[in-house]
Amino acid sequence: MTDNIVDKVAVQTEDSRNQGRRAFLKGSAAVAGGVMFTSAANAAGGAGFDPKKAVAPYAGKAEITDVLQDGAARKSLGFGVRKYPYGMPSPFEKEVQRRTLEWLTPDSMASITMSPIHQLNGIITPNGLHFERYHGGVPTINPDDHRLVIHGLVERPLIFTMDDLKRFPSISRIHFIECPANGALEWKGVQLNSVQWTHGMMSCVEYTGVRLSDLLKEAGIKPEGKWIIPEGADASGMSRSVPVELAMDDCFVAYAQNGEALRREQGYPIRLVVPGCEANMWVKYLRRIMVHDVPIQHREETSKYTELMPDGTAQRFSWYMEANSVITYPSPDFKMQGPGKYYIRGLAWSGRGKVANVDISIDGGKNWKEAHFTSVVLDKAWTRFEMEWEWDGSEAFLMSRVTDETGYVQPPMPQMRNLEGTNNVYHRTAMVTWRVHGWDQGKNGGMIENVQY
Amino acid sequence: MFNTKQTLVAASVAILFSGSALAMSGNSDSKAGDKIDGKYAANYAEIIKKADGKYLDKAVIEAILGSDETHGRNGLVGKLDPANPYSFEVDDSIDGGNHGNAQCKIPAAFTEVHESAAKHYHDDSSFVANGFGTPIAEAALSKWNITVDGDGKGLPSADVGMTIEEGGKVYVQFCGMCHGDFGEGAKGYLALAVDQNLVTSSFTDPAPMKAVGNYWPYATTIFDYIRRTMPFWTPNASFIGDAGYLGMTGYILQSNYIKIDDEGNELDDETFFNSEMLMKMNKYMPNQGNFFCDHRPVIHNERCMTNCPDAQVGGNGKGDATDYREARKLPDGTPQYNVPQRMHEDPPGVGHSGM
Ligand code: HEC
Repeated sequence: MTDNIVDKVAVQTEDSRNQGRRAFLKGSAAVAGGVMFTSAANAAGGAGFDPKKAVAPYAGKAEITDVLQDGAARKSLGFGVRKYPYGMPSPFEKEVQRRTLEWLTPDSMASITMSPIHQLNGIITPNGLHFERYHGGVPTINPDDHRLVIHGLVERPLIFTMDDLKRFPSISRIHFIECPANGALEWKGVQLNSVQWTHGMMSCVEYTGVRLSDLLKEAGIKPEGKWIIPEGADASGMSRSVPVELAMDDCFVAYAQNGEALRREQGYPIRLVVPGCEANMWVKYLRRIMVHDVPIQHREETSKYTELMPDGTAQRFSWYMEANSVITYPSPDFKMQGPGKYYIRGLAWSGRGKVANVDISIDGGKNWKEAHFTSVVLDKAWTRFEMEWEWDGSEAFLMSRVTDETGYVQPPMPQMRNLEGTNNVYHRTAMVTWRVHGWDQGKNGGMIENVQY
Repeated sequence: MFNTKQTLVAASVAILFSGSALAMSGNSDSKAGDKIDGKYAANYAEIIKKADGKYLDKAVIEAILGSDETHGRNGLVGKLDPANPYSFEVDDSIDGGNHGNAQCKIPAAFTEVHESAAKHYHDDSSFVANGFGTPIAEAALSKWNITVDGDGKGLPSADVGMTIEEGGKVYVQFCGMCHGDFGEGAKGYLALAVDQNLVTSSFTDPAPMKAVGNYWPYATTIFDYIRRTMPFWTPNASFIGDAGYLGMTGYILQSNYIKIDDEGNELDDETFFNSEMLMKMNKYMPNQGNFFCDHRPVIHNERCMTNCPDAQVGGNGKGDATDYREARKLPDGTPQYNVPQRMHEDPPGVGHSGM
């Protein structure tokens, strides 16, 4: 929302540092008589770092005495430069994949894959793991042949080549992109045990492109133009209606993603970026923007992407993605390694701005503790949080709850269900709960399970 | 129960009143205590600013809307009033149907969005084009501009079309294999005509199927959509053409028993279906009045930290965290991990091999 992204990043880095410090101070105050590295102790020239004390938790653990052997990597040369002119992940990472549920759709050209959220780190999704959603398959478009037209209620309809677009002032922004059906599988109860399935219809990347307001002004948008109708060059001719206020706020036309050209799966050569809003509006393979006086009532804003309520009415034009959060570790893809210290981590994001706080409960929502941020806190972007947890080995119910800068507090599932029913399909943004099985539960001890209230 | 038809009437009455209320309060800067439409704090922008931009904070919403408007879907009725700073509703009076081409807007209370739009557009008096593009005539876009809006702008002229019977033949040839000859659906592809109630009796009932007759608010959408995307393998087919797409639109409307007039008549096989007939029927889409503009969030919780109220804790509002629902279990009692193909392909997750 703020214009100057450089300022913003600087401010937010400071912010997140403060967040971290605050949380730390709180944490150490809570551990009464805890770790003794206060400034007073240091100033007194006293204890300082005590290596013997530091390793105390290892006391009594059996020592490995077998002599370590050299591995193959040490005894032969590795491969040389340019074996892979475009680098690929280690073969040992081959299970880190986008995945789909084949029963969701009859056809792979109108389908979806989920990003392996539980295997990602930081706030950037690698391009090859970005989730996919197609309505008419992926076209392979030659950028030399691609054109973007802006017409309708404008003074001067214009057509742009890719070279034309790249001459405009550019902006780079990190934003999350989320399908409003993310979490839809969980409306009627729990279905699947993985963050990939419960929250994987989203990604977060850095986009570079041209501000949409610059392009619309370039063509002389007329005051009667209240809506813009973006359209794709693919088989689905994807369209939505975007109100002009939203278009002029912070939308842009992106040609790059994480420093390289967009991938075909994400709209090569250009896509619309509508920060904070339903990914369906971020039209890929963008070829035409019609400035119009009314919305078009496209299938994707009437038949689909509207939310059916328990009384049979339906909510439409639900553009914004509500604030949401999820614990990615520990989560159902992992198993606890025994009682002891853990760092609970996860992702929080809000379509309406920055994440303000994330709180974590280990007792199913009765009591909460504030987590601190381990990433920068950006507008409409993933934010990483973390909280130290001493697991005593008993059954626990982990939940995360985000509050965003607009003051919105993420609700628990029963509240959302009671108000909005379970037939909505879209915008299920209530909290999820991971049940950690007690360590004494035999072979299931320490297992982590998706449960719902 | 919430009903958009009634509230829309209420809302238009409210516009009349709000006009006079504003006239009385004059155009001066709103003092604290001034009310929009006698109901909403006129200085809402100041209230939001004072609260650090927290426009969705429970206390801020209460300060602007009053306390009875804020909770749950009951509060939605009040928010449909266009004078309400949190309303997405703007305009609903175009001749496309019984409610027209509904427009929703970004609520006034989302002050940051409006400020940013003003900066980048409305207030940008110094902008001069870069001159990087090439002018193009609208006529050059005749093939690309395939948009038909909810008012029918963009439809072919009235001489283009075919009878419902002819439209049915085109449909059976190009669409029936996926959507069923009567729109009943086939091979897992979407049905285009279903007889289903949109209200289910329990939260765990399967969600109702939604199709043209029981759900779609506009008939124009059918023509716009099928001309742009269908048949799935060969979209926007010239061998079908505008006449064929109109004929199929008529056939789909007939299969959904949509009325053509107040007497409740339906399309005959011999009816010549063209853009005029389409716009006539656009007014009789049965579910049209049951859509409302986004009013989220309808939940305004406090950020409670200790001993939170039972309604916010697990166990269906009784505060018992061990009262939960699980996914299906495998025969050995472990939770079902993901989908069968994933389980065979590779271990379901770190730490799970062998489970
Ligand atoms: C190969 C199978 C196939 C054929 C043939 C086909 N369709 Fe479709 N149709 C689909 C798929 C797949 C979708 C959903 C696309 C998506 O998810 O975006 C769809 C969606 C639709 C929808 C939207 C339904 C809804 O509820 O939103 C309509 C209307 C439609 N098709 C009409 C037609 C018509 C008319 C024809 C013939 C000209 C046709 N289809 C031919 C596969 C097919």
